[in-house]
Amino acid sequence: MQLSLNEDQQQVLDFIDSLARPYAGVPLHDVSLALENAELDAALIENGFLDVMAVEELGPVTAALVVEKLARLPFAVEAAASTFVRPLVAPDLPRPICLVEEDRMGAPLRFLRPGATVIVIGPSGVRSFTAEEEHIAAAQEDTLYAYPVAFLQTTPQTLTTHTVDAAEVLRLWRVAMAAEAAGLLGAALASTVTYVSERKQFGRPLATFQGMRHRLAEDQVLTNSVYWLALRAAGTAQQGDAALALLHAQEAARRVCYDYHQFLGGMGITLEHPLHLWTYRLKLLTAELGGRGEQALAAADALWG
Amino acid sequence: MQFEWTVEQDAFRHKIRDFLASNLPDDWETFSEHGPASPALTAFAREFCVKLAEAGILFPHWPIEMGGEGLGPWEQQILAEEMWIAGEPRGGQYMNVNWIGPTLERYGTPEQKARYLEPITRGESLWCQGFSEPDAGSDLASLRTRAVLTDGHYVINGQKIWTSYAGLADTCFLLTRTSDDRKKGITIILVPMDTPGITVRQIPSLIGEGDIHEVFFDDVTVPETARFGQEGQAWEIVAYSLRNERLGIPRFTLARAALDRAVQMLKGQERFRREAVRIEAARCAALCEAAGTANYAVVQKRVDGLAIGAESSSARYATVMAERAVCEFVIEFLPEALAGASSYLKMHHQRGIVAGVAAGSAEIQLNIIASDVLELPRESR
Ligand SMILES: Cc1cc2nc3c(=O)[nH]c(=O)nc-3n(C[C@H](O)[C@H](O)[C@H](O)COP(=O)(O)OP(=O)(O)OC[C@H]3O[C@@H](n4cnc5c(N)ncnc54)[C@H](O)[C@@H]3O)c2cc1C
Repeated sequence: MQLSLNEDQQQVLDFIDSLARPYAGVPLHDVSLALENAELDAALIENGFLDVMAVEELGPVTAALVVEKLARLPFAVEAAASTFVRPLVAPDLPRPICLVEEDRMGAPLRFLRPGATVIVIGPSGVRSFTAEEEHIAAAQEDTLYAYPVAFLQTTPQTLTTHTVDAAEVLRLWRVAMAAEAAGLLGAALASTVTYVSERKQFGRPLATFQGMRHRLAEDQVLTNSVYWLALRAAGTAQQGDAALALLHAQEAARRVCYDYHQFLGGMGITLEHPLHLWTYRLKLLTAELGGRGEQALAAADALWG
Repeated sequence: MQFEWTVEQDAFRHKIRDFLASNLPDDWETFSEHGPASPALTAFAREFCVKLAEAGILFPHWPIEMGGEGLGPWEQQILAEEMWIAGEPRGGQYMNVNWIGPTLERYGTPEQKARYLEPITRGESLWCQGFSEPDAGSDLASLRTRAVLTDGHYVINGQKIWTSYAGLADTCFLLTRTSDDRKKGITIILVPMDTPGITVRQIPSLIGEGDIHEVFFDDVTVPETARFGQEGQAWEIVAYSLRNERLGIPRFTLARAALDRAVQMLKGQERFRREAVRIEAARCAALCEAAGTANYAVVQKRVDGLAIGAESSSARYATVMAERAVCEFVIEFLPEALAGASSYLKMHHQRGIVAGVAAGSAEIQLNIIASDVLELPRESR
């Protein structure tokens, strides 16, 4: 057991910090809820941050740390699937990567756009195709989620089949989502803490009211443990750990999204405060892979048969 | 980062398991329904700890200067986990090796060390912790038990409550008030429990017979040399002790073991097929593992020699959530367990319900997280 960051990990995280610094601020926006940034994306690719999984001295725990870190940014970055799933399926698949379960093809797909790779996972195995205009339904400008999302309207006649274990892909998908949720949870908590520490009512900061302090403290406990479970799931490569990590993340997300919007009052309903960038990503992640009930069933299968 | 145990750590764990397997009686599981502070378990522990001492696994985590093997915090954690999962056969002596011994070593006079350390290392002494009072629970600093120094003796008057082990303990690690200066007026006195003027009364409880007590002090007189540290130094010493014991008991491991046991029982009766049960069991497992990793992150700080702060409160609160979930799971899906069907699950329940009260309540942990982890502006008093 050794739970502190090693030097390589520290270096990677420091490097991401400095690279991401120009993107840490939130631009005022009023068009779409989903913020992306092409330059940031290019910089991440160029510096190989989405390829750490394959680097021997870095590997899956570092990959989880990278995904967690990037998820804290106000900009949505397609890092999770690219970092965790792409190396296993085929490292040269064009990004962004969209993961979809065979029996949930109608789900809103994050980052789906022409040129993206859609990986379909299910009883028929693991297959992929490159999305083109004709496969994608009319653009979803009115989504409330803070990710770019779109729907598939058709799929090509033939998909590329990959000879990888679908269960392993699902496992990595769960780890990736848990790591992304961990970062979102961390950023949403920090943003809320700042707000309630500054905002005064009844002549004192909101954060001095115990009713709020205790809920925030519980949210911290959940946030902290989602982080650790995500890293552990990356490290142990166990199906059960992956399912527990995403289960816990989805449970936590439900709880904190409610709390934080309450704590921000009217401000949390506006787009003037960036909270929604993290909470409306978290909300979509609560639906990932069928939601927490499905993760719980998967965990029960893995743990107890 | 490395989430697996090393070969040495695994070997250490197995050494303890083997020891437990060959030294616990066949009816141990029913027997351990007696709480750790019960007379039955206390008597058992007196023999068991002597054997542990002989086998070198009573205090292997102590530094070599103190007669230990100088093993690290991970080994201390593993030792505590295995003992607690097994129903804590050390009884109250776990306190001796976790914090009383190291605290004696650091703050005791040569005379106190000579008198008290030796029996601890032989596995022969039992302590109780006289902190809480009827009007001083969470607000410990308001304690009122008085110690007045006259003619080289302290005369002690007052009352303690919830005191575990008091009925059978040899010595009390007692917090007394020697001046009105709140935290700075508190002084530790090491009081032999057979000193005249001490009355111990058991309090019947949900957690089994003989576990918690009221202790009355009526003109209890001890020599000045029984004072531990300086007058007014108690708060500092207790903070040091708790640093050794910050995470407290590794309850999350027993919660997880109880959950696995409950699932096995349900499976054995074909009652683990329903999705509602499976989903709830997985939720419990997630909370247990969440608490486990949060606790381990704190242990890592000890390994790295870093100061442990409020993150231990976060880990403790995660443990309370796990304990609560497992206790509720068992009652909802295996209600017969607490009515005679499973000694192990009843034992777990009785220990689990204490997680959010004893040694600093859950709400106090939340207060600490809010102030010291999240650094929210302080509440007005
Ligand atoms: C099994 C068991 C064994 C114990 N063993 C020992 C022992 O050996 N020695 C010893 O000295 N003590 C012992 N204790 C006592 C234990 O430390 C106290 O019970 C604990 O500190 C809480 O104090 P209290 O019971 O007076 O509760 P109170 O302090 O009265 O608290 C009652 C409730 O109010 C809440 N509360 C209190 N203050 C605040 C606040 N500021 N903000 C929000 N909520 C608050 C608490 O969280 C709790 O929910 C033991 C207790 C138990 C249950």
